[in-house]
Amino acid sequence: MTVRESIENKDIALIDILDVILDKGVAIKGDLIISIAGVDLVYLDLRVLISSVETLVQHKNGTRKEINSEKLDKEREELIHATGQPDKWAQQD
Amino acid sequence: MSDLLYLYGLIPTTEANDQSLPSITGFDGESELYTIPVGDVTAIVCNLDSGKHTEVELKDKIENDMEWLQEKAFHHHETVLMVSKMYTIVPLKFCTLYKSEDSLKSSIEGTRNKLESTFKKLKGNEEWNVKIFCNDNQLREEVSDSNPAIEEKRKEISELPKGRQFFEKKKIDQLIDQELENEKNRICEEVHEKLKEKALEGNVKKNWGKDVTGRKENMAWNSVFLIAVDQVDDFIEEVNRYKEELEKTGWSFEASGPWPPYHFSSFS
Repeated sequence: MTVRESIENKDIALIDILDVILDKGVAIKGDLIISIAGVDLVYLDLRVLISSVETLVQHKNGTRKEINSEKLDKEREELIHATGQPDKWAQQD
Repeated sequence: MSDLLYLYGLIPTTEANDQSLPSITGFDGESELYTIPVGDVTAIVCNLDSGKHTEVELKDKIENDMEWLQEKAFHHHETVLMVSKMYTIVPLKFCTLYKSEDSLKSSIEGTRNKLESTFKKLKGNEEWNVKIFCNDNQLREEVSDSNPAIEEKRKEISELPKGRQFFEKKKIDQLIDQELENEKNRICEEVHEKLKEKALEGNVKKNWGKDVTGRKENMAWNSVFLIAVDQVDDFIEEVNRYKEELEKTGWSFEASGPWPPYHFSSFS
């Protein structure tokens, strides 16, 4: 196998592909305009996509924490307690 | 109803006439690719069901369905790559869709002149990507030990009264960081210029962060080159020479390609 072939046969990372097909490549306007907010993000910071993959994987593995309003309320109380700040969200008379 | 056209890329009609497109499966996994000649330019397309593919749905999938995006991104890339090995291709952006053949034709006709000059530029050439990574810690030590500016600063400090030495030593760390960046850029620029000699064009891209690359080392340089096919071996050899030469000092080089000419066919 030549040096060239060994490079050609290497696996290409998804991120390399997304970088070119979402951001580069000729844009001759199609009829359907898929304006992806993510494209700029992908270009500026591909992290966004990577982290969404991770969230997806975590979600699948069932490690994602359940969120409900009770838990949020409890966390808020704890924060208020920890910071000693008055509760801005408490109803004011 | 298969009433949308997914456009993968554009090739010169003369080349399309010389050899026919092999059987390639389209975007939905069922349809087949085919060609639509529009004068000197030939479009590589497949049909797509407009009922299943709307702007809103596609946008949502791209942003929220990573599994779908991965599958379709690979499909788009592999298809364009396969076509690029047979013909001179101007690759289109992911999910470029038309509602009718007429609309596709008029879009292409509007860019005919630009396409012609782009085909000329791309014919017989390949796009390659070179990324340079650097183990900053290793290089930092070397810079710290051997940089003349830092050496001089150290000497200066050693002549100061003890009390002031402490603060000046802190400043020296900043100086080392700065010199490290200078050194990294100097080496990368030098390599880039050398590689450019083997290429027709060379562009510098944005570096990606570690969380994107998943590597321990920092990306120090990200670049793309347009290279004549018969120069590619020389180019890769040159990259490998740098790889061997600079490996010991914490550098690594990664060349990938050939890519469809995504970076060298865009026109605005």
